[in-house]
Amino acid sequence: MPGDDQAAMPAAVAVRAVGLQKTVGRGRAARQVLAGVDFAVAVGELVAVLGRSGSGKSTLLHLLGGLDRPDAGTVTIGDEPLTGVSDRALAQIRLRRVGFVFQSFALVEELSGEENVLLPTRLPGAPKDGTQRAQRLIDELGIRPVADRVPHELSGGEQQRFAIARALVNDPDVVLADEPTGNLDQSAAADVLTLLRALTAQRRAVVVVTHERDAAAAADRVVHLAGGRLVSA
Amino acid sequence: MTALWLDAARSLRARRRRALLSAVGVALAAAMLATATVVGYGLSTGFARSARDADLPDVIARFDDEPLSRVAARVRALPDLAAASFRFELTNASFGTRQHFATNGVIEVLMPGRRGYALLAGHDLGSSPGEVLVEQGVARAWGLHVGSALFLQGLGRQHVVGITESPDNVAFPLAAPTVYISRADVPLQYRRDPDPDVNEVQLWARSQAGLNVLLAQARETAYGLHDLSFVTRDGVRILVDQAAGIVIALLVALSVIALLTAAVMLAASARADVQRQLVTIGVRRAVGATRGRIVSLGAAEAALVAIPAATVGVLIGLLAAAGPSNALLELLNERGPGRALVAPLIGSWLLAVAIPIAVSAWPSWRASARPPVTLLRGAELRGGGRRQRGSAGLLGLGIRLATARRGRLLATLAVLGTSTAFILLMLALASELSVLANDPSALGQRYQLLAGLPASAASQVRSLPGVADAQARYELTAADSFALGETIDVIAYPGDHTQFEDPPLASGRRLRGDREAEVGVGLAQVLGLSSGSTLALALPSGVDERFRVVGTVSSLDHDGRIAYVSATGLLAGDPSAPEQIAVKLTPGASSGSVTRELLALGASVNATATVTGKGRSLVSALTAILRAVAIVDGFVCLYTLVQALALTASERRGTIAVLRAYGAGAGSVARLLAGAALAVVLPAAVVGVALERLLLGPSLANIAENYATLSLGASVGVVALVLIGLALLAGAAVAWVARQAARESIVAGLPT
Repeated sequence: MPGDDQAAMPAAVAVRAVGLQKTVGRGRAARQVLAGVDFAVAVGELVAVLGRSGSGKSTLLHLLGGLDRPDAGTVTIGDEPLTGVSDRALAQIRLRRVGFVFQSFALVEELSGEENVLLPTRLPGAPKDGTQRAQRLIDELGIRPVADRVPHELSGGEQQRFAIARALVNDPDVVLADEPTGNLDQSAAADVLTLLRALTAQRRAVVVVTHERDAAAAADRVVHLAGGRLVSA
Repeated sequence: MTALWLDAARSLRARRRRALLSAVGVALAAAMLATATVVGYGLSTGFARSARDADLPDVIARFDDEPLSRVAARVRALPDLAAASFRFELTNASFGTRQHFATNGVIEVLMPGRRGYALLAGHDLGSSPGEVLVEQGVARAWGLHVGSALFLQGLGRQHVVGITESPDNVAFPLAAPTVYISRADVPLQYRRDPDPDVNEVQLWARSQAGLNVLLAQARETAYGLHDLSFVTRDGVRILVDQAAGIVIALLVALSVIALLTAAVMLAASARADVQRQLVTIGVRRAVGATRGRIVSLGAAEAALVAIPAATVGVLIGLLAAAGPSNALLELLNERGPGRALVAPLIGSWLLAVAIPIAVSAWPSWRASARPPVTLLRGAELRGGGRRQRGSAGLLGLGIRLATARRGRLLATLAVLGTSTAFILLMLALASELSVLANDPSALGQRYQLLAGLPASAASQVRSLPGVADAQARYELTAADSFALGETIDVIAYPGDHTQFEDPPLASGRRLRGDREAEVGVGLAQVLGLSSGSTLALALPSGVDERFRVVGTVSSLDHDGRIAYVSATGLLAGDPSAPEQIAVKLTPGASSGSVTRELLALGASVNATATVTGKGRSLVSALTAILRAVAIVDGFVCLYTLVQALALTASERRGTIAVLRAYGAGAGSVARLLAGAALAVVLPAAVVGVALERLLLGPSLANIAENYATLSLGASVGVVALVLIGLALLAGAAVAWVARQAARESIVAGLPT
């Protein structure tokens, strides 16, 4: 139950959603995918959100990261509300506090792996030490030897490592991963899950949306999204 | 078939914004094409149409006053003559209304016979006195209409019975105001003369084939007629065509650019659309759709966009150009094409529709040639990234994104560079036209005043305050010794004439000796002269003088029938050649005060007039057209930039969404797109300036050198203005596209 989920949380909450509602489509095609979701992730916790295709997992992730706005309900990251703020303020919160990892990696094809990692550091308002952090991340994730390669010269696992490094380069509090292992083979997927797991040790909250049970195994907590509501596993 | 159109309409509805942008492009191109068609067709066919309507004679001969019987006898002897009519042309006549008055008017006294003008309103002159026909330029400028009163000096009040148009001359105010009266209006004491004087004959040949024989015979039989000149219908047409040719060429070039822009952008847009629809095409192919069906769908989509857009564009072009074009034609005493314009406009419309359809169908045809399985994998969309060096900041990334599509970059560059060059050229040409209208020196005249004083007064004039230099100037009208019908304006200075008159040298060299001559291009053409030929002049003194032609010069004076010789050479044959003093003013000197000084010396003083000074209306019309077309071309640039950026933003929707997901705001998206714009605008500006300075300007100046020395290299000011304009257009395009991109939902753009 969502209420139980909240009760079991440690005190320091990294991201919290209350009463989230979201309808997608219009008119006769309109469908409510989130019907009052309450959800919280503690600092240093990795939560896996499972659900069938179309259950609203990605929609929840987008709302948690401020990529989309809910029809009703609130989202806060740390003590910063994401709802009711301007687009500019929302962009600044995403820049400083949220890192995204996508299933298809979403690397810019014309940029090398290293340049892709550096990209968020070039945005106005980004933390100052981004370049050093990028170098450190590239070393830590073991992708230095291929750092100057463009995406189509990299394997899927390498691309996802660069994508994770890019998500971490501005030192976010929350990392949101949408099917991060969906395009990877078993070995590469395991590596990526290990990396995500390791982020919790750095006091980051990690939310992984997936429909793969193996991915869920790495999580501290697993929740299911069904019928627009969250249920604990 | 219906299903195909419905499918196409559905597909367009799904991408309305892009379809709208494509439609704007087609409409712009169609508007430019229609503008070029309206102006080009009107100018290129106006003379023939007006000449036909006016029953313009094949030859007009003008000469000093002669008795009608004497001229008629010679005319009757001409071979292959269909008809002839006689006129008495009274120049420097005074007439006007209560508000307007002219002292340099022309009254054409008509004898019975064919008229050689078209009636635009009212009726022709009857036998009753007091009737007058008015040339349409005069009627328009003075607000005259049928029934208005016109006061002619010596004849009193006349009433206007008709408005005429005759393309043998340009209209008032480019030419002197002209009215027509019948012989019945001539005062009684002259009318009683059974053999009145005439000074103009209009000749109609039976056939065009016999025209040359008629003309040759007319020259033969014209012996003894003084100050004779012939104007043929073809001669008039060539003069008009030469002037209109530059405008037509510019407009055609512009419409080609506009069409090229639209075609390139539509092709790029169609390719991008096909790229996005590869999987859909794959699915269609997999379920059995033929290549023909896929292509038909692409073509149907393009047709649905192009047909209404081209229709709107052609109508806009027609509405925008018809007014100025007709005004220009009226100034040239020519008639607009009217309904004859429908066919060329339909042609323009078909072109504006066919090109988008063709460029849209082609990528569909190429894509559908691939195996469905490749298409289902989205083939071309993957692995297209090229390793590129440069800054990875937002500006740098924008540059990289723009340069990643090299074909499109080059096409956009070509279109933008050429458009920039044409804008520069048109603005430079407009500036030069203004200069021609206001600065006699542009046409080679280096003196500002002409004083009616003897040559011996030159040193006295030189000492006047405000006078930089003064020199005796001799000018007389001579005839060609071999073709007495050809009159030649002969000008002579004691020293180097280029110090006072410096018409551009078209070929050969300047005269150095007393027996040498420079001749105008017009005279060289008429008499078949070139460097080394002999110019034989029958001077008014009765003496024949021969000069060796050493060069040809471009001059608009006297239709180029002009010759420069040395004063010594001229005075040797005609010591009583009329003399004046050409006066050059010091920079900043007051023309008025020098004129007063000269008047005090007893001189009559004339200020020099530019050739185009008389045709300021024409120059203004041309300048306005050039500036208007430059502005339209600016819109073409804006459209090109918006299309290029919109395509980049659309293709890189995923990249922009990812950037926004990581915290990029609208400003960052704008910076990214500014980089893409920079990649196009900077090289395009360089290409544009170089193209104008090195190719277009010199080429056009070369074409125009028969008229005047033009420096058509855009000035630094014009270049700066255009570059600032280009930067502003780029800024506007970036702002618009960035706004559109930032308004899109981030989630919708994220890669799946």
